[in-house]
Amino acid sequence: MRERLSRLLLNVFAAVIAAAFAAGITSIILAVRGDSPTFVISQMWTYGTTPSSELTILNSATVYYLSAIAVAIGFRMNLFNIGVDGQYRLAAMLAAAFGGAVSLPNGVRQVAIILVAMLVGASWAGLVALLKVTRGVSEVISTIMLNFIATGLIAYLMRPSILGRRSAVANDVTTTPIPKSGQVGGLDLIPKAGGKVYGLIVLAVIVGVLFHVVVNRTRFGFDLRATGQSASAAAASGVNVKKMIVATLLLSGACAGLVGMPALLGDSHAYSSITFQTGLGFTGIAIALLGRNNPVGIAFAAILWAFLDQSAQILDLNGIPKEIVQITQGVVVLSVVVAYELVRRWALAHQQRVVGGALAPPSDPAAATPAQVTA
Amino acid sequence: MMNLRSKRTRIAVAGLAVLAMTLSACSSSKNNSSGGGGGGTGSTPAKKTVKVGLAYDVGGRGDKSFNDLAAAGLEKAKADLNIQTKELSAVQGESDQQKADRLTLLATAGYNPIVAIGFAYAGSLAKVAPKFPNIHFGIIDDNSSKLPNVEGLVFAENESSFLVGVAAAQATKKKNVGFIGGVQTPLIQKFQAGYAAGVKAVDPSIKVQVAYISQAPDFSGFNDPAKAKVIAEGMYDGGADVVYHAAGGSGSGLFQAAAAKKALAIGVDSDQYQTATADQKPYILTSALKGVDTAVDNFIKDDAAGKFKAGSVRFDLKAGGVGYATSNPIIDPYKAKIEDFKAKIIAGTITVPTTP
Amino acid sequence: MLPGLVFTESLPPLSDPAAAPGACAIAVATHSAETELPTAVAVELHGITKRFPGVVANHDIDITVQRGHVHAIVGENGAGKSTLMKTLYGMHKPDEGTITVNGKPVSFSSPADAIAVGIGMVHQHFMLADNLTVLENIVLGAEPTRGGVLDGRAARRKIREISDSYGLGIDPDVLVEELGVGDRQRVEICKVLFRGARILILDEPTAVLVPQEVDELFGNLRELKSEGLTVLFISHKLDEVLSVADEITVIRRGTTVQTVDPKSVTARQLAQLMVGSELPIPELRESTVTETAELVVENLTVRSTGGRAVVDDVSLVIHQGEIVGLAGVEGNGQAELVEAIMGMLPIESGRITLGGTDIGGWHTRERRENGVGYIPEDRQRHGLLLEAPLWENRILGHQTERPNVRGFWIDRGAAKKDTRRIVDEFDVRTPGITVPAASLSGGNQQKLIVGREMSGTPKVLIASHPTRGVDVGAQAAIWEHLRNARAAGLAVLLISADLDELIGMSDTLKVILRGRLVSEVDPRNVTSEELGAAMTGAGPVSSGEAS
Repeated sequence: MRERLSRLLLNVFAAVIAAAFAAGITSIILAVRGDSPTFVISQMWTYGTTPSSELTILNSATVYYLSAIAVAIGFRMNLFNIGVDGQYRLAAMLAAAFGGAVSLPNGVRQVAIILVAMLVGASWAGLVALLKVTRGVSEVISTIMLNFIATGLIAYLMRPSILGRRSAVANDVTTTPIPKSGQVGGLDLIPKAGGKVYGLIVLAVIVGVLFHVVVNRTRFGFDLRATGQSASAAAASGVNVKKMIVATLLLSGACAGLVGMPALLGDSHAYSSITFQTGLGFTGIAIALLGRNNPVGIAFAAILWAFLDQSAQILDLNGIPKEIVQITQGVVVLSVVVAYELVRRWALAHQQRVVGGALAPPSDPAAATPAQVTA
Repeated sequence: MMNLRSKRTRIAVAGLAVLAMTLSACSSSKNNSSGGGGGGTGSTPAKKTVKVGLAYDVGGRGDKSFNDLAAAGLEKAKADLNIQTKELSAVQGESDQQKADRLTLLATAGYNPIVAIGFAYAGSLAKVAPKFPNIHFGIIDDNSSKLPNVEGLVFAENESSFLVGVAAAQATKKKNVGFIGGVQTPLIQKFQAGYAAGVKAVDPSIKVQVAYISQAPDFSGFNDPAKAKVIAEGMYDGGADVVYHAAGGSGSGLFQAAAAKKALAIGVDSDQYQTATADQKPYILTSALKGVDTAVDNFIKDDAAGKFKAGSVRFDLKAGGVGYATSNPIIDPYKAKIEDFKAKIIAGTITVPTTP
Repeated sequence: MLPGLVFTESLPPLSDPAAAPGACAIAVATHSAETELPTAVAVELHGITKRFPGVVANHDIDITVQRGHVHAIVGENGAGKSTLMKTLYGMHKPDEGTITVNGKPVSFSSPADAIAVGIGMVHQHFMLADNLTVLENIVLGAEPTRGGVLDGRAARRKIREISDSYGLGIDPDVLVEELGVGDRQRVEICKVLFRGARILILDEPTAVLVPQEVDELFGNLRELKSEGLTVLFISHKLDEVLSVADEITVIRRGTTVQTVDPKSVTARQLAQLMVGSELPIPELRESTVTETAELVVENLTVRSTGGRAVVDDVSLVIHQGEIVGLAGVEGNGQAELVEAIMGMLPIESGRITLGGTDIGGWHTRERRENGVGYIPEDRQRHGLLLEAPLWENRILGHQTERPNVRGFWIDRGAAKKDTRRIVDEFDVRTPGITVPAASLSGGNQQKLIVGREMSGTPKVLIASHPTRGVDVGAQAAIWEHLRNARAAGLAVLLISADLDELIGMSDTLKVILRGRLVSEVDPRNVTSEELGAAMTGAGPVSSGEAS
């Protein structure tokens, strides 16, 4: 227990150091530009904590969280699902078309739409698994390629002659909007925010809990982690590594399918090839790294990321380029990866010393003699 | 130990890759905010002080295209009014909510009127405008709003495209012309439809080659000069001698190809003859003008004068909101016929289609 | 840590013919170091110890290399030869001990430091750029310049000089891609000499050569020697070593066992020194072998990805209560045989049955669930999750079995409790069961694995080197556990490099060479010399019969 706690503290410490480092770099850039870092930070904090900002942050964090969990499922097994982006976009598009086309009773319809999205996401990721297991194609390559193919496929399917239709906004093509009986209402979590939090934030919480339970408490999760830590040891222990690759990618893809759901069911109600949010899959990778593939860590990382996105908006108003925040985000991810690795190595060496110290035999004479001689 | 270490390395590499993606995805947005009352220095007290907020689409001021045209309109307005401006721009891959927050930010900071540049703001404007009933909003390229404080500013791009189609039909010697669209969306198809109709109106036997650089949701087509150049070369090699583009920033690729092949090209939105390089100028026959600048300028001035009109304003040939450029003298021999068609469109004897 | 040396000197063979010259060689070395000019000794390593996390790769290494000698260092794979050479070449620093070169103590931070005092290394795998000429390859990184310009003429002259004086026969202007393997090796040697090396380290130089090339290489080495250069020659091919070396140092389990004179030892004796023997004495008491065949392997063939038969038509039967030993120099197909039995390698042909059921199509997990325990040869790669706590490592390999899991769920409490039991019963030295496996020493890691694999009453145990790296007490304990399980009916396939362990702990003993079971010996009658000879193919075993 004490070890787990101290390891947790170490990781939190690493994250804080990395964040401080990123803030430092950002401050230096601001100072060089001639802006006051304290002014910028206080501006960002003030704007980022207004009720309407909090609403946006919570909503953004919800989708970031789902995306990062999708990535983390793969990461835990040392698989790099760079394709969450394509998976969620295709899933959202097809689920939206499905939701607009079928007529099911309220309640069933939402669930059906979500299931379709998971199925599509899983299938798209399943292609990656198939290529990897049967042909040995690196998932990094195939997911990146499938992202492009997803874009092309969506473009094709969104033609008005197939699944798309001219929207009320004359310049847009969307899927048939999902009627009221297929939507998910928002939650009035933040007073005076002038809007509602995505109802599917609940789904994100459930996904996080499931992720934790499955990875840490089940046989499947054990196999997954074992494969991630040492594929050779896992294979020797009887894990069918190929099956695990398939299962993990399917799960990751299914989770990716959820990424588009909060906005689709709670806000836009139709997939628009122009205004539907893209690039969430890549944000998810950064957040998964930042959160160390841990469901709680990812939650904090997602909120931090969303906060930075949102509070950056105020900077333009003060004549400071908001792109400065992207530098902060980038530096945070880089330094956090470095910091975690340093902490990991240090902790391992420390453990070895502690264990060695606890079990040291009576010191032998050779060790006592300073042996190193310099030329 | 080795495999553990290499795993960590992979994660680190992945981190770098993500960073590169995140940064590159956001690299092009620029901020530009001019100080208050820049245009009003030394102005007479008669000028009214107006706080104007502009929300650009991705790319912002300096994109040498759509957003810049809007900025030009703002500058025009500045010349006549005492204006304080605030210009914000969108980032790649943001959510509707973030667009709404941007508009809210301008509204709560007291900017009135607020102009949203691009129909991507349509959804977010519909959410934000009702919360600020006293603030007037304008939106370019969208007329879907029925709200009392929103004015949609839309353009008859099909009409201007029709006119450059007439120009192209007269200029072609091989009876073969081309059209390059940036991204296949209904908006750009409107350009295509008008252009093709203009060409056919002159001579139905002229062949019109059509190509789009990308398909929505892939919006790279508006900013991919290299691909535009390849497509243009293909069209010229395929027999075309005049090619029209509606592809935003990709258009420079067309002009390069035209200069290399010594064939004609037609610009879009602004008078691209003015901004082209010296070697390309002779080949830019004309440009289909889209008066985004005029629209922004008029909207601000009308609002300042208390003449805000909810609903939508259509900038067509009749209103002078669209047109064609005549700065390159080689257009002169074709002008008579173009003007002829222009009159017919204004008179309503010709209706230009909006879909191909 | 020192027992290796002590035990060796109490080895039976050394009390007869070989002992005297061996001891004499040591005496000569010591003698010359003390009385002659210090420059007669080229390199002296004293008390070198190098630890890596979890393992001690080298400890208390003492070697004295005479100038103008070819000094061979022999040992099994994994005995620590390469670690030692990396230390000498400055690729890492020793944790303890001194290195003396030409009488001066030195400390290397990088190979550059080693090169500066005249030590050069020819790696097993050549490091040459194919698309450059010999000259370019040789000067790469040590370009002679004149006024900042590459001085090709001077370099060419120097290479010719080196080539002529040592009979290397190198043409500086051909492209490396046109050269054969032997030529490339000479280029590598020339490259090292070009940088001024007077002491050459050759790491397994003959591994890539055909016999004629080996002869040529040895000719070159004699040439170098006659010019006063010193060569450190690493190998495990005993015949070659005996033919070329002036002195041979044997390394076993990370430490120097003995330095011998090649003129007075045989390959057989050298093999014994390499393989070694230990106290306590491994032995089986009364036979518990039953008539029931538990694991039967019939005509098993496994091919490498290159298509070579690494396991070639192997048949063996292990009965309940029987330990079948498999003797062989490492790399003769033992690992592949084990992995095929465990279902980790696809089999080309043949049958594997467990208690009469054909398990050839079963997945590893099914085999394990049906009672096949597995102590892997490479515990870090195949036996442990190094960064996971001990109790999770208890689950590894048994993640479908009680007490680790209950249905779909991991039973953390029961798994931890059972881990504590293993820690107690198998004397795993650890402060707790939540420390990561990597923080344990290799021996304690091994004890954990053995304890895990013997939990839950397995029917068959595949034990690869079950006592490698563990201390003497634990070794005895592991043997005791094996004996008890055997008495209870366990069928064991035992693979070991420790011949005494094999002889003592086996009911049946088979010898594997190049993937084939070449003979079966009676462990009650065979001596370790005879077995060692059979393993290296150096001599037939009288009691053996080809299978």
